[in-house]
Amino acid sequence: MKGLHIYGACHSHGNQQVLNNASLLVPAGELACLLGPSGCGKTTLLRLAAGLERLQKGKILIDDTVVADSELHVPTEQRGIGLMFQDYALFPHLTVIENVTFGLRGLSSAKARQRGMEMLVQVGMTADASKHPHMLSGGQQQRVALARALAPDPKLLLLDEPFSGLDTNMREQIREETLRVLKSSGVATMMVTHDPEEAMYMADRIKILGNGQILQSGRPHDIYFHPQHRFVAKMFGLMNRFECVVDGGSVEIPLGPVQAQGLEEGRRVEVLVRPEGVTLESNGGGVPVEIQSTHLLGHDNIVRVRLTDEAQCQPGQSELYVRVHHAFEPELSKRITAGVDPDYVFIYAIDEEGAAGAEAACRPSHAKMLLSKSIRAVAGR
Amino acid sequence: MQTTADSAPPARAEYWSWVNGWTIGAVLIAATVTVPIVTVILIGLTPSDDVWSHLASTVLPLYIGTTLQLMIGVGLGTLTIGVATAWLVSMCRFPGRRIFEWALLLPMAMPAYVIAYLYTDILEFAGPIQVLLRELFGWTSKREYWFPEIRSLGGAISMMTLVLYPYVYLLSRAAFMEQSVCVLEASRVLGRGPWRSFFSVALPLSRPAIVIGVSLVLMETLNDFGTVDFFAVSTFTLGIYDVWLNMNNVAGAAQLASVLLFFVFFLVMAERFARRKMRFHNASAKYSALPGYKLEGTKRCLAIICCALPVVFGFVLPAGVLVGYAIVNFEAATSAELLRHARNSVMLSGLAAALAVAIGIFMAYGVRLRNERILKFMVRFASMGYAVPGSVLAVGVLVSLGALDNGIDGFMRGNFGFSTGLLFSGTIAAVTFGYLVRFLALSFGTIEASLGKITPHMDGAARSLGHGPVSTLRRIHLPLMRGGVLAAAILVFVDSMKELPMTVILRPFNFHTLATYVHQFASDEQLGEASLAALAIVGFGILPVIVLSFAIARARPGFSNEVQVL
Repeated sequence: MKGLHIYGACHSHGNQQVLNNASLLVPAGELACLLGPSGCGKTTLLRLAAGLERLQKGKILIDDTVVADSELHVPTEQRGIGLMFQDYALFPHLTVIENVTFGLRGLSSAKARQRGMEMLVQVGMTADASKHPHMLSGGQQQRVALARALAPDPKLLLLDEPFSGLDTNMREQIREETLRVLKSSGVATMMVTHDPEEAMYMADRIKILGNGQILQSGRPHDIYFHPQHRFVAKMFGLMNRFECVVDGGSVEIPLGPVQAQGLEEGRRVEVLVRPEGVTLESNGGGVPVEIQSTHLLGHDNIVRVRLTDEAQCQPGQSELYVRVHHAFEPELSKRITAGVDPDYVFIYAIDEEGAAGAEAACRPSHAKMLLSKSIRAVAGR
Repeated sequence: MQTTADSAPPARAEYWSWVNGWTIGAVLIAATVTVPIVTVILIGLTPSDDVWSHLASTVLPLYIGTTLQLMIGVGLGTLTIGVATAWLVSMCRFPGRRIFEWALLLPMAMPAYVIAYLYTDILEFAGPIQVLLRELFGWTSKREYWFPEIRSLGGAISMMTLVLYPYVYLLSRAAFMEQSVCVLEASRVLGRGPWRSFFSVALPLSRPAIVIGVSLVLMETLNDFGTVDFFAVSTFTLGIYDVWLNMNNVAGAAQLASVLLFFVFFLVMAERFARRKMRFHNASAKYSALPGYKLEGTKRCLAIICCALPVVFGFVLPAGVLVGYAIVNFEAATSAELLRHARNSVMLSGLAAALAVAIGIFMAYGVRLRNERILKFMVRFASMGYAVPGSVLAVGVLVSLGALDNGIDGFMRGNFGFSTGLLFSGTIAAVTFGYLVRFLALSFGTIEASLGKITPHMDGAARSLGHGPVSTLRRIHLPLMRGGVLAAAILVFVDSMKELPMTVILRPFNFHTLATYVHQFASDEQLGEASLAALAIVGFGILPVIVLSFAIARARPGFSNEVQVL
């Protein structure tokens, strides 16, 4: 199968284990985002795929050819990959067109130039072909770096935080353009990012990396609505968290009862509710709440509320974060009530030892468990 | 997905992976270069007569004390002058700055022994200064007034500081230029004035370059023979000469040398440790013009004086005196032989510079490619040649090449029935090898520093675009560190040109370079005869300095596509 395939990669820097049996698959034509917090080993995994680091254990294939295992190490230059760094790493002594044609070996200089200009057309940089990198803005440098990486028609494109050096407005525009260029090239792409929104926007498939392993892989929708792991659920920002005990197939959180399928009776669980899963109503039928503050973000409004009836809450759980449409103006009504949308509620069993820290050991308990294709493929071997 | 070995630590299956061309080549070269040093150590460790205990009980404490004082004096002097002038010309704006940018390098062209001869001539009792003072004040004898004695430890410190500070200047200036101005501005915004920003940001960031500069200076200081001999300052190096030449005791000299080597070893290790603690890469792709603090009034005058003093005393004054001598003694100083000596000097120095740069690049890049411990150790060890006094190295080269010659001769006679005689001893190859052993560190250090400033992402980008290590070196690193390579070549060239003790010992019979020619006459206090040759050494020294200063002026971040200067 075409694309990138990593099996059971393990890697340590000195005594520190960075990757522990990480496996993933990125088929040709697909854009995968490797998402995880800083220092979780995303960049190490990318560098292993690129051949910039030696694989200590496991196996890496590109287009069905083994490029690295514990014995073999195909050098970077023979892997046929494209690589783009956070700082773009444009060669400062070469012009834009010289940078783009740098990887076009074995072509006559006229042909190389033609191909280079084609790439510059794609990223809209033809006018700057003879400039030097330091004369370009950050966004322009990013475009040149993308053109340079794609010019030799790589089997695999690796992007390391490609947009983090850009300001917000520019970032959205460049993201859009990059997506268009990548889609038209049809190359298998693995992009490393720590920004969940960016991953949601760009990715065909998101791979969440935590504790040195891929914790979940799936379409953005799956990752967002069906996180198999509390770590994955928490990737997308602030959560409302409750601790309950399963009783009669459901759990009772302050906002009301929620179904808890597949969990044994009497089990202590952690209930996570996304801010957008809490619904606010004027004079509705839910639990009465008191507005603490509101924060307009543009399309959304983040509202901090306090449950009026504190009797049913455990200490420290009476405050909720709610994300509502900006048209909702809670200040205007006197009595506000809150409800919950079960689609945004995730329930995870708490370890018997009570150690929430041992996350890797927790099995996802969500009723609709999704075993992603790549995990299944790896497990099948 | 579950494998039994999951919990086992990852195995390093690359036990033999260091065996590749770069590593083998670099280790072999490093090993070859260390042969003379190892020879000296072996001789030093071989027990001989009781010269060792004799030395330890008599002169050793004196040698160590004097040497330490000399090192501290020259180190502090060059550090102050080098860093201060580098900061002034790279960060401030004042009249004459553009001239000082290159003029501050001029004293590099002056060998310490030459200005020692010249200043002694000027400042001694019968010299023009003291004659003038006596006439002005009507003194008649030395007892009536105090005048600093030039032939002293203080004199030696002054002479060496004056000609060695450009090493610190050159390296710290390059470091200041390569710094992202952003960090300086950040410091200003955080409420630190230009003065405190310099001490809290610019200086720490430039520390690796400055440390390299000062360590080069200290190694030069340990090596100097001409000045300390002329001034009769009892340093280690002088002691080694004394034991070797006057007591005719090679083993004793080598034993003294091995103590010195131990000393130097710690110096090098300390420097390396400091460097390893802070690895900076110029990750920022954004450059902007240097701030250029405009100086006014008193500050402006002070800046000009600060930059002018080292140039005047380190170059203008002695060069002027030298030119005067050359004019007066023109007839006596010119000879048909002079041109031949000059050609010898250029050829030897050029050969040494080319070899040192090529090998320096090979080894520095080898270390970058494969961060192997054995390689790093060998390279460090090979770099110690610079710290070893020329005379000692000469002993090492003589003994090791002699052994090689005898070995080849014996093999050929035994197997083929004819004698090859001495193939290498007393040839130009021997002199070049000596220069190489001694100056490789200079080239390697400069190139390594330059290479270290190129972010590893450049390597990654080039490699991912299908270029192997050699192609990446040729197309990315070499162009980016052109300035560093040029600087390395110039440093080795100028130093080889000035090199005296090793050339005297290793040269072929009747073969002269400009340095040996000057030495021959000047030590007999016939400076006039040698003035033209000395001037020629200085002149050759200046030429590369000019080339270098042009490169420096052109390459400024944000003004050209050249990012790296040194």
